[in-house]
Amino acid sequence: MDRRNFLKVVAGATVIAVSPSLIRGNLYAADGMLFSAYEKAQLVDAAGKPIKASALQKEVTYIFNYPYASTPCMLINLPKPTGKDVELTSESGEKYVWKSGVGKERTIVAYVAICTHQMTHPTPNDSFITYVPTAKKTMAYEKSGIIVCSSHLSAFDAGAGAKVLGGAATQPLNAVVLEHAADDTLWAVGILGSDKFQDYFKSFRPELKEFYGGPAEAKKLVSISAKTVKLTEYSKEVIQY
Amino acid sequence: MNISRRDLFKFAGLSVAAAAVTGCSTTAFDPLPKGSSQGTSSKMLGKHQVVIIGGGFGGLTVAKELKKIDPSFDVAIIEKNDSFMSCPFSNCNLGGIKGVSLSTLTHDYSQAIENNGYGMLTAVVTGIDREKKVVYTSKGGVGYDILVLAPGIDYNYKGQFPTWSDAKIAKAKRVAPAALMPGGEHVALDRMVKNMEDGDVVITVPAGKYRCPPAPFERASMIANYMKTEGFKGKVIILNETAEVAKGAAFKETWKDLYAGIVDHQDNCKIVDVDFDKKEITYVQTVFANKEDTEGVKTTKTLKYGIFNFIPHNMSSPVIEMSGVATTPDGFKKVKMATSPEKPVSFQTATDANVFAVGDVVGHAIPPSGQSAIWSGKECAKEIAHKLHGKSYSVASALPYKSANVCYSMVNGNPEEAIMVNHEFMVQGPVIGSKGSVPKGDEANNKFRSTGLGKATRDWYKGAMRDLFN
Repeated sequence: MDRRNFLKVVAGATVIAVSPSLIRGNLYAADGMLFSAYEKAQLVDAAGKPIKASALQKEVTYIFNYPYASTPCMLINLPKPTGKDVELTSESGEKYVWKSGVGKERTIVAYVAICTHQMTHPTPNDSFITYVPTAKKTMAYEKSGIIVCSSHLSAFDAGAGAKVLGGAATQPLNAVVLEHAADDTLWAVGILGSDKFQDYFKSFRPELKEFYGGPAEAKKLVSISAKTVKLTEYSKEVIQY
Repeated sequence: MNISRRDLFKFAGLSVAAAAVTGCSTTAFDPLPKGSSQGTSSKMLGKHQVVIIGGGFGGLTVAKELKKIDPSFDVAIIEKNDSFMSCPFSNCNLGGIKGVSLSTLTHDYSQAIENNGYGMLTAVVTGIDREKKVVYTSKGGVGYDILVLAPGIDYNYKGQFPTWSDAKIAKAKRVAPAALMPGGEHVALDRMVKNMEDGDVVITVPAGKYRCPPAPFERASMIANYMKTEGFKGKVIILNETAEVAKGAAFKETWKDLYAGIVDHQDNCKIVDVDFDKKEITYVQTVFANKEDTEGVKTTKTLKYGIFNFIPHNMSSPVIEMSGVATTPDGFKKVKMATSPEKPVSFQTATDANVFAVGDVVGHAIPPSGQSAIWSGKECAKEIAHKLHGKSYSVASALPYKSANVCYSMVNGNPEEAIMVNHEFMVQGPVIGSKGSVPKGDEANNKFRSTGLGKATRDWYKGAMRDLFN
């Protein structure tokens, strides 16, 4: 991912479709990609050691919180290389481009794990959203190897920018823009797509208080590093249909 | 959210729109002279680009989606209730599911209006003039360019029991509430269940189209769960007018496993009469020898009850008749939907290009559920937005649509377990059709119900409420 591309800022702001009261400045790359830059954070394991891309297990859902302390994201090492330059459309009709997966074989992807349908997301108690490995079946779609939110059976194409494949979701999951460094480490640098973070903070206030101590803590931006663990360790129960 | 002055001018009050259901039915206590209008004010309150009658799942979704697509759209809802109560998930309250109460089901409209920027008028619809493009209400007339009919259902006691007086029907509503429509019926049934003693609870399931096909069976399961938990002696007897049970295999497995001797489901029971003072139901049950037997053997029976959840035949809200759009000839009177080679399926009515319909009243072959109404509302909004922008949109372009309807039914309280049905929607001739499947939620134990689906039921409800009110 060429980060310089993202920093060619086009003047102007966009209104996030979900709530027009939510006006945020967004960075648009010169080629029209909808992109928000956040603090750069290195993905580290539970002990704080940098995660190596080559050490990621295939088809396992990992979770890290980014760009905020309370916003969970999925990290997945897919069985085959992803597509390239996938054109996506936000629910308000904005076109943007998801470049590709990263890593030696372009198999590593990361997406915000907040379903774009009704914001179902992993919590320490449970998760309805997960990557479904190719060997497992899902009710949401005829093929596996995709991301499924089992709350309403929305299906997203993990290898194509989380494009919607089925179910009630009306836009792709937000993508986390990853950088794969020469030393095989992974870094999160931004978010692609029309996000629902402000709606999320508003909708889940009691939960954020319970798990993060309160709204202010929940809205803290992640910097330096982001702890990355398996979804099965992050949530007590993973529910997948 | 920026609300245009046009949005604000007119509707000082909040409101919702389930339409003129009870407001237009006479009761034993407030009979109206024939032909009189219910306080219809002749003054005009103003005009809106899009007026939606009904502030339920479908109506709220259409309004929200239209404002999302184009914030400059001038959208207003007319709703008779001043707050929203969810029927989906309401059986969890009756079942004594932890943390669920009537307040869980109740929402104010203020937040939705503030967040989404449409207008709302709390009023009863008393008439519709499609020629003048005016909806008349108890507070005055509202003009429209596009009208959306999302008024939900009414009960057809008169059709089912032509000899019953208005007083008897009014009593039926009071002492044996159907609780398929939001409001006091749910409060009444909740009171009855919470104050119950030993004795039988009877639930009727009507023939024909009715709101939320699994609802009576989920309710039976939840009340049985409550009785079992509280240690009450008695049964939950389901008198089903047909032999159809939505999610049948899953419900029957649950009743056998968890509520043997408590839930008693009876097929082909036609209610003849009810003595509400003696708490006695008279019905005729037909037993068929086999599939070829079309006559069956009929037996008249009587049944005493402690609590009666009397769900009569359903029909579309009187608002549909007021609008004068063409309806199907069956008892429910579904709205006939437009069809053409370019747009084989649509939420536009067959009668009037400026009148659309969503929710329970649509003439599509899709399940009448909250989730279907949300899906329909989003598609209907796309159609209307394109029309207002001078473009064309075909709902068929979104079909087939996997998991367009996902419907959960809570069946156990400890542990919380639920079953589900999942529908794909597709083009089926001139209407949207659907194909449902009921999966095994617990494949390891080969059971339909599972704790995962129990969690999903809660998650679905929370998500749906976020969808409507955020």
